[in-house]
Amino acid sequence: MNELVQSTLAAQDGGISFFALFWQAHIVVKIVMVGLIAASVWCWAIILDKSLLMGRTKRQMNRFETVFWSGQSLEELYGTLHHRTNYSMAALFVAAMREWKRSHEGAKPAIGSLQQRIDRVMDVTIQREAERLENRLLVLATVGSAAPFIGLFGTVWGIMTAFQAIAASDSTNLAVVAPGIAEALFATALGLLAAIPAVIAYNKFASDVGKAVGRMEGFADEFSAILSRQIDERS
Amino acid sequence: MRVGLIASLTGHAVVLLWGLIAFPDVRSFTTPPVDSLPVELVPVEELTRLQKGEKDAEIRDVAALNPTEKPKEEPVKPADKPDKAAVEQPTPPTPEPAPAPEPAPAPTPVAEPEPAPAPEAAAEPEPAPAEKAPEPAPEAAAPEPIQTKVVPRVKPKPPRPTQTAEKPKEKDFKPNEIAALLNKVEPKGASSSSTDPASLGSRLSQDSNVKMSQSELDALRGQISRCWNPPVGAVGAESLNVRVRIELDRSGEVSGSPEVLNSNSNPAFRAAASSAVRAVMRCAPYTLPASKYEAWQEVIMNFDPREMVGG
Repeated sequence: MNELVQSTLAAQDGGISFFALFWQAHIVVKIVMVGLIAASVWCWAIILDKSLLMGRTKRQMNRFETVFWSGQSLEELYGTLHHRTNYSMAALFVAAMREWKRSHEGAKPAIGSLQQRIDRVMDVTIQREAERLENRLLVLATVGSAAPFIGLFGTVWGIMTAFQAIAASDSTNLAVVAPGIAEALFATALGLLAAIPAVIAYNKFASDVGKAVGRMEGFADEFSAILSRQIDERS
Repeated sequence: MRVGLIASLTGHAVVLLWGLIAFPDVRSFTTPPVDSLPVELVPVEELTRLQKGEKDAEIRDVAALNPTEKPKEEPVKPADKPDKAAVEQPTPPTPEPAPAPEPAPAPTPVAEPEPAPAPEAAAEPEPAPAEKAPEPAPEAAAPEPIQTKVVPRVKPKPPRPTQTAEKPKEKDFKPNEIAALLNKVEPKGASSSSTDPASLGSRLSQDSNVKMSQSELDALRGQISRCWNPPVGAVGAESLNVRVRIELDRSGEVSGSPEVLNSNSNPAFRAAASSAVRAVMRCAPYTLPASKYEAWQEVIMNFDPREMVGG
């Protein structure tokens, strides 16, 4: 209890700078603050990463669509693409074409249920791509919803200890009360600081992923229709 | 992912550094200087304690109402004794210049014993009559800062007013004037230590400093009068003045039985006296300030139908 008193009283000459607020805080509040700062760092890392990934995915899909609908033969396109690692629509196209090729490799082409196999392969690929895009978005959602509560916990704890210190110091002077409450509120500020960008980014990226997946599904349907026509013509 | 992480770390470091720079010079609130109004906590009985007086005495302005400003405007001549200037102010609000109708057997000119030390404080033993006031005033017409030594507001009161005299003079708050205005209440009936018939008050309070204020006396009177059925129907009821001595214990209960102090030949007096005693007994216990128990330990209550009927 004496430590609390001293830490609160010492706050008077410690100022209100970030470091002072941090060092005067109780150990629990310190842990909360450090955790919130780490969460914020991680969130922003994810946000930057995802925004880059989303932009890249959009560009790749645009480029692939222009190439695909330019009238180039599918065989040629597959020849150029299947050596590299592909993403999104290109991956979809390569997966479907690989299944198509394999079905025609043997002496007796297995065309009977080729259409279903191609659809299934494309479904799996869409799922994998969606998973790749959604990866770590859950962290943003968790931080966005939990960080305010964590910050609030730090604040409540800090105010609790501040009040204990006030009770022990027999003084209700605002100069004694203020630093403890300021340091406690700092925890909530950090929580909000981490949560607000996380929530905004999560909402944006979730809708972006939804759009990209929808676009891939549309392409899969169209490509499936093209392949189905080919199969029917050959059988 | 590594790019994002590095960028995020740098961004946070930048924000933290900015916070380190921006936050330490948090400006403290500038509190504009406020003219402090001097407030004094004065026991209420100083203002509400009444002086002994006559019921038919006329209402007077109490002297020493505005001499506080005079020494400031017209500084005293160096040769002039500051005592005289001081003397003309403290003309106490006592009945000294009272009109003649005061009967001879009331020789004590001042109801309170306090006025005696007041002229001493002014360094002049003789009490200053009001007629003397205009004389020193014209002499006090030469620039000299010596007059600051003059205690301008000596009042026949406990030593508190001298403290107020030392306060900054530019304030408009003049406790003396307020006290003087309040003292303009018509002197009526109340006395603390004279031998004249006292309506309310303790015999024991002569030696102690504890005094009941008028509001507290009124409270006690109001408590008793609520239970009193005055003998309105009797012949000559307005002359049925009953004085009862009551002894109270600390809880406000009546200890013993009230004692009727006077007598009257009126046949209805016995009924009036017993009604007064009954009123005293019926209304007990009384709620009175416990810290002033010495003042109300023994109370002489005056049951005057003319007063109590009306109020």
